[in-house]
Amino acid sequence: MDAPAKSGQPLPRLDARLKVTGGARYPSDVAVANPAYACLATSAVARGSIRAIRLDEARAVPGLLDILTYQNANEIKPINFFSKGGQAASSIMPLSAPKIWHDGQIVALVVAETFEAASEAAQKIAVDYDEEPPTATIGSPGATVNAVADVSEEHKDPGFGDADAAFAAAPVKIDAEYSTPTQHHNPMELFTTTCLWSDGKLVVHEPSQYVYGMKNGVAAQLGMDPGDVRVVSAYIGGAFGSKGSLTSRTAIVALAAKRLGRPVKLVSTRDQGFTIATYRAETRHNVKLGADRNGKLLAYSHEAFELTSRPDDYNVAGTTTTAVMYNYGAVATRVNVVHADRNTPGFMRSPPEVPYMYALESAMDELAYALQMDPVELRRINDTAKDPNPGNPRPYTSRSLMRCFDQAAAAFGWEKRSPAPRSMRDGDWLIGWGCATACYPTQIAPAAARVSLTPDGWARVQIAAHEIGTGAYTVIGQAAAERLGLELDRVKVELGDTALPPGPIAGGSNTTASATAAIVKACDAIREKLFRAAAGSNQGALAGKPIADLDLAGGRIVAGDVSEPLTAAFKYMGQAAIEEYVESVPHGLAADAMEKLYRGRVALAGGPKGEKLMFAFGAEFVEARVHARTGEIRVPRAVGAFAAGHIMNPRTAHSQLMGGMIWGISAALHEATEIDERSARYVNDNLADYLIPVNADIQTVDVIFVSETDREINPLGVKGLGELGNVGTNAAVANAVFHATGLRVRDLPIRLEKLLPSV
Amino acid sequence: MSSAALSVAKEAAAETTPPSSAAERGGAPLANVSLEINGRTYPLALDPRTTLLDALREHVGLTGTKKGCDHGQCGACTVLVDGRRVLSCLTLALMADGESVTTIEGLAGPDGALHPMQQAFIDKDAFQCGYCTPGQIMSAVACVEEGHANTDAEIREYMSGNLCRCAAYPNIVAAINQAKHELKRA
Ligand code: FES
Ligand code: FES
Repeated sequence: MDAPAKSGQPLPRLDARLKVTGGARYPSDVAVANPAYACLATSAVARGSIRAIRLDEARAVPGLLDILTYQNANEIKPINFFSKGGQAASSIMPLSAPKIWHDGQIVALVVAETFEAASEAAQKIAVDYDEEPPTATIGSPGATVNAVADVSEEHKDPGFGDADAAFAAAPVKIDAEYSTPTQHHNPMELFTTTCLWSDGKLVVHEPSQYVYGMKNGVAAQLGMDPGDVRVVSAYIGGAFGSKGSLTSRTAIVALAAKRLGRPVKLVSTRDQGFTIATYRAETRHNVKLGADRNGKLLAYSHEAFELTSRPDDYNVAGTTTTAVMYNYGAVATRVNVVHADRNTPGFMRSPPEVPYMYALESAMDELAYALQMDPVELRRINDTAKDPNPGNPRPYTSRSLMRCFDQAAAAFGWEKRSPAPRSMRDGDWLIGWGCATACYPTQIAPAAARVSLTPDGWARVQIAAHEIGTGAYTVIGQAAAERLGLELDRVKVELGDTALPPGPIAGGSNTTASATAAIVKACDAIREKLFRAAAGSNQGALAGKPIADLDLAGGRIVAGDVSEPLTAAFKYMGQAAIEEYVESVPHGLAADAMEKLYRGRVALAGGPKGEKLMFAFGAEFVEARVHARTGEIRVPRAVGAFAAGHIMNPRTAHSQLMGGMIWGISAALHEATEIDERSARYVNDNLADYLIPVNADIQTVDVIFVSETDREINPLGVKGLGELGNVGTNAAVANAVFHATGLRVRDLPIRLEKLLPSV
Repeated sequence: MSSAALSVAKEAAAETTPPSSAAERGGAPLANVSLEINGRTYPLALDPRTTLLDALREHVGLTGTKKGCDHGQCGACTVLVDGRRVLSCLTLALMADGESVTTIEGLAGPDGALHPMQQAFIDKDAFQCGYCTPGQIMSAVACVEEGHANTDAEIREYMSGNLCRCAAYPNIVAAINQAKHELKRA
């Protein structure tokens, strides 16, 4: 490749070769000397307390080394839940007391010479419980409900005008209930932890979306100086939110390794992943839309209920997004949390937008039918360039929603749609076409980075950001390569290690914006030094040139036709390398944001929070085919058009959006964790029964990039898109199924038994 | 699983060899097994319950093969045993005694030249996190070898034992379509 790697090129991933040869070391792949193996024993009841733990049989297993229970290992210190200023994914501390808060709570950690022995011993632990009847879910006896606005300092229910009166007076209205199920991330990589101690210092190898959070959280739990804890997570086998905050297993494994004086490695089982980590909570929604006969939205009200654990007020409160989506005349919203005997939920890919936009975009489709209007036109009539709240009419920095709709509709062939339900058919297959809006807040976090350049034209970029499959190594490398005038293969990128300067959490789709802001700043400092040396020297081709005329390209310093090699500038400076450490704090965050980042605290700016609204948009169209005799549902094609500012790498961006749309199809048709109502236990806690799409479930998924320039959001003008693709897809599929069958399923997932009335 | 494989496993399990370090430390009685992996022979003394997957990862140090479920439900652990694709988490190491195992580490040439399937996965961006990828690639190589890559629909069907939570499925199909032509020519 002759030209320098410009951001915006579809370059292959920097880590591609490692990933196709088995060379990428995920945390459980890292070799440690003489490891002992750990296995977990987890609770068989959802509520109550441990009366007795009988360990004799487990202790008799040959090779057994240690068993940690609340009776001998209750020294881990509590830290705050992540939304209360800590790093914990849950306030529940499994080995602190005999209390059982939820099904599958950790009751013991077994350590043995081999994985086989640890497994056997874990199964031989016998626990007697004093059981109490548990509360399973929303609407179950014993559930308690709180308004989020009453329990959260941050959340205010958005609203303006008199939505009740406007709804009552509206000539066309929809009043409907929607619900979404429990879902588990199920990244292909299991939840693993390996801990090693030496000289009182701890190293943790664990897949993490936030290594600085883990480092600081574990240090606090173990009463250590954070400087003595290092977390390494260079490759992550999928995360989707499940590896964002600190779960209880990490400190337990660290404690086991300390007691034993030997590295301890835990690879938890797939079923344990359902209860020792987090999940997307089930939600219920009541949505009311009122419109005039031309489709103008007069009223929008939305009350939602979200499930959480007993001690934590985890919530996603997606009304902050839906309330700015269209040009409503009046808005009333209220979000509630419902406490039950469950593990604490957590972020899962587009946490607020997936359930809340499903409800809104389904209601919009219902309204379009009530108006006998094309659903695309209904969105056009209600498109807005600002917050519809007249008391706070903040503009969007950019909003290309209708351009997305128009391009996706054209590619899909939407104009050939016959609007009436059940009016399109191919033999025994009922055909339905549906669409929905996709959106995701554009966020940015503080980040620090170190970039160095040597005279031989090699750059090294160091930042504790995270490669969860998004292409972080590649786009971060591209940003540096472009700025330093190098080819991408001359940039070495190091991520996922707290020995590096702190990067942002891999959450809220902020990594590209946040990390590249810091990288560009560091590269610009390097450029400045090189340019001053070349121009300020009294020799060489660039002597005396204005600095503004200089650039870096092809490993040289150039000014128009003349250039000098990098080596010359280094020689003038008398230096063998330039290394720049920089900190980047985005506009809108407090001055202590960087210090908080070092302490493992998350701060995000942008989205719906600031003086302007910052969002990426998309439009998704799907074809659903429902078999008229069996109710079998297929989605043979989907088209999504997305506007997300500057696209750093169309190849990795395409994979993210395509994967996201398949996630959305999955949310509509496949995924749900089933909960036994009596025992409050997960039933289908394995990959055979928890349905996700397999290759044969997916056919054509087309991604269109809609060009968009937004110079206000961040230095490179990028909008995160890792969580954009799976928003609205569930509604688009549900809308298509309605169009095919005339049956409106308002409870996801849509499985064939729900379509039986239509066949 | 063939009955021959079962009987091999039983015989191998019977030949336990007590004097080994883990046994001295109080571990389970060990069994000797000789695995031929990527053309190299590895004599191992293993707990007879050790799966081929754990033997590869924890005893041989070949961590390219991944554990995604340990229950035969995800395909992340797919390797080739005598050219057939096999779920290494459902295969006891003893059952592979004397058979030839190929893992993702053994696919590239000795000079580092990538197998056409590996190159196709790069060219088509057929992965994101990469965790399912070793299993996908081993399965894809076998899928072509079996003659099950004639149409997109056939590829999808015969690759449906390998889950990809990042959902790179359309790109995986494209990669197999690219590689199958090169493999036919070879
Ligand atoms: S690990 Fe073997 S099939 Fe999942
Ligand atoms: S690439 Fe992540 S699971 Fe397939």
